Amino acid sequence: MDYGIHLLILICIYTILAQGLNIPFGVGHLFNLAHVAVYAVGAYTTALFSTELGIGFWGCIYSSMAIAGLFSLFIGGISLKLSHDYFAIGTIAFSSVISALLINWKSVTRGVLGIPGIPRPELFGIDFYENSNFLVLVAVAMVIVQFVLYVFLRNSYGRTLRAQSEYEQGALSLAKNTVRARTVSFLISSCAAGLAGSFYAYYINYIDPSSFSLVEMIFVLTIVVVGKPGSFWGITASTAFLVLLPEPLRFIDIPPSILGPMRQMLYSLILFGVVWWKKETLFPVERTV
Amino acid sequence: MTMLQVSDLTFKIGSTQILNGVDFTIEAGETVGIIGPNGSGKTTLFNCLSGFHIPSGGAIVYQDKSITKMKPYRRAELGIGRVFQNFAVFKEMTVSENIVTALESRMSPWKTFFPWSKQNKINKQKALEYLKEVGLEEKAEDKAGSLSGGQMRLLEIIRTLAFGAELFLLDEPTAGVSPKMKEDVANLIKLLMKEGKTIIVIEHDINFIHKFCKRIIVLDVGRVVLDDTPENIRTSPVLQEVYFGNGKAANG
Ligand SMILES: Nc1ncnc2c1ncn2[C@@H]1O[C@H](COP(=O)(O)OP(=O)(O)OP(=O)(O)O)[C@@H](O)[C@H]1O
Ligand SMILES: [Mg+2]
Repeated sequence: MDYGIHLLILICIYTILAQGLNIPFGVGHLFNLAHVAVYAVGAYTTALFSTELGIGFWGCIYSSMAIAGLFSLFIGGISLKLSHDYFAIGTIAFSSVISALLINWKSVTRGVLGIPGIPRPELFGIDFYENSNFLVLVAVAMVIVQFVLYVFLRNSYGRTLRAQSEYEQGALSLAKNTVRARTVSFLISSCAAGLAGSFYAYYINYIDPSSFSLVEMIFVLTIVVVGKPGSFWGITASTAFLVLLPEPLRFIDIPPSILGPMRQMLYSLILFGVVWWKKETLFPVERTV
Repeated sequence: MTMLQVSDLTFKIGSTQILNGVDFTIEAGETVGIIGPNGSGKTTLFNCLSGFHIPSGGAIVYQDKSITKMKPYRRAELGIGRVFQNFAVFKEMTVSENIVTALESRMSPWKTFFPWSKQNKINKQKALEYLKEVGLEEKAEDKAGSLSGGQMRLLEIIRTLAFGAELFLLDEPTAGVSPKMKEDVANLIKLLMKEGKTIIVIEHDINFIHKFCKRIIVLDVGRVVLDDTPENIRTSPVLQEVYFGNGKAANG
C-alpha cells in the first residue's frame, strides 16, 4: 500500500516533468536536453528556500517556478543562435554548467553532500508528512498542470509551435512570430520543470546532484518518445507505464547495486528501440527555400 | 496605387553577386509574371521581398512603407503572402488546421485561447468554406501530407488567401503539379484576381502565365532584361538571347 502510494507520487511528479518537456521537444521539435537541469534548479530552489530561509509552501513553489522560468531565457538564447543538432548540443553544454555549479558551488549547494532535511509543506492544517496526503497535493498539482498544458497544446499557440517545427518559413509567411513561440515554449516547460523539482524536493526531503544527471534526462526523454512526441494522453500513459515497468524486477532476487544499472539499461534500450522504429516522426526535416 | 516598388536591389552571398540591381514597380491589382532561366535569381528575389534575405543594397517599398530590412513575419502582417516553390503546407497538421492556423494569425490570441472557445468553431467553419473553393472539403480532416502535389499547392494558395494577404508571391505554382491540375491552379489564381489581389507569379511555362498576366518581367543573371506585354516578350530577340544565346536550353 505504502509502496503503491510512493509510485503514484512519482508518476505525478514525472507527468508534470514529461508533459513540460513535451511542449518544446514533442510539439516544437526543439531538442531541449537541459530540461532536467532546469528541474534541478526548481528542486534546489525549494530545498534552499525552505531549509535556509524558512519559506513556506506557496513561496517555495512559486519561487521554484519563477527561477526555473528565468533559466528558460538561457535556453531561448541558445535557440536564437543554434538550431537543430547544434541546439541540442548547446543545451547539453548548458546543463553540464548547471551540474558543475551544483557540485562545485559548495557554499550554497553543499556539493555532492546534497541538502538534507527539507521539511514537508504545512498548509490548511494538514500533515503532509503522511504520504497519502502528499499524494493528494501532488495529484492536484498534476491535474492543474495537465489542464494548462492541454490548453496550450490544442489552441492557436500550439498550432503556431507545430507550424514552426514543420516549416519555419511557411510559419513566418503567415505572420507567426516563431522566435516568440519558441521562447514561450521554453518558458512553459521550464515552469513545469521547476514545479516538478519543487515537489520532488519536498517529497524526497533530501536532494543531491546525482538525482539530476544525464541518466535522468534519458528517462524523461524516453517517456516523451514512448508516449509519442506531441501527443497529450500518450505522454501521461507512458509516464505511468515507464515508472511502473521496472517494478517487477524488485521481486527477482537481485542486489540493489545491479538493479539500478539494470533499470538504466532498460530505459536506454527502450529509447533506442523506439527511436530506431519511429525515427521519421521524431526529427524535423530540414528545408531550404 | 503603387503596391510594390523595388529599386536597384542587389544581393550577394559571400562574393557571389546573385541580384544585380533589380528595378520594377507593381501597381495594386496587377498580375505580373516573372520568367527567367534556372538560377537567374527569381527565388532569391522573392526571398528578398519576403524578408528571408536582407538585400545588400537597394530598397523595397511596400504600400509606401520601406520594408527593406523588416523581419519576415512583420512583412506578412502587412499583407505580403508567399507561396513556396517546394510545398510549405504543414504536413503533420490536418488540411483544415492548415487554414485555421492562417485565419488565427490576424486575431487576438485570447479569442482562440481555449480550445473549446467559440471562435475556434467559427474558424473551423470558415476553413471549410475556403476548402470548398478548391474542392478539398472532403479532405478537411486528413493530414495535409497525404495530399497530392497539386492539392498541396491549392491548399497553400487558399491558405494564403485565408490569411488575408494582399500581395501574393507565387513561386512556380505549377511545379510538381500534374498537368490535369494545372487548370485548377490557374482557376484559383483567377479567383485571387477577381478578389482584387496583387499577384507576382514566377513560372517557367510562358503559356501558363499568358492566361492571366498582361505583363511579364524577364530576369537573367540577377537583372531585369525585359518588362513588357506577353506578346512583345514572345517575339523579343532578347528572350531568345536569354534562353538560347549562352547555350542554355529553354525550360518549358
Ligand atoms: N544559399 C545559397 N548559397 C549560394 N548560392 C546560392 C544560394 N541560394 C541560391 N544561390 C545561387 O543563386 C542563384 C539564383 O538562385 P535562385 O534559386 O534564386 O534561382 P531561380 O531563378 O529561382 O532558379 P529556379 O528556376 O531553378 O528556381 C543560383 O545560381 C544559385 O546557385
Ligand atoms: Mg526558384
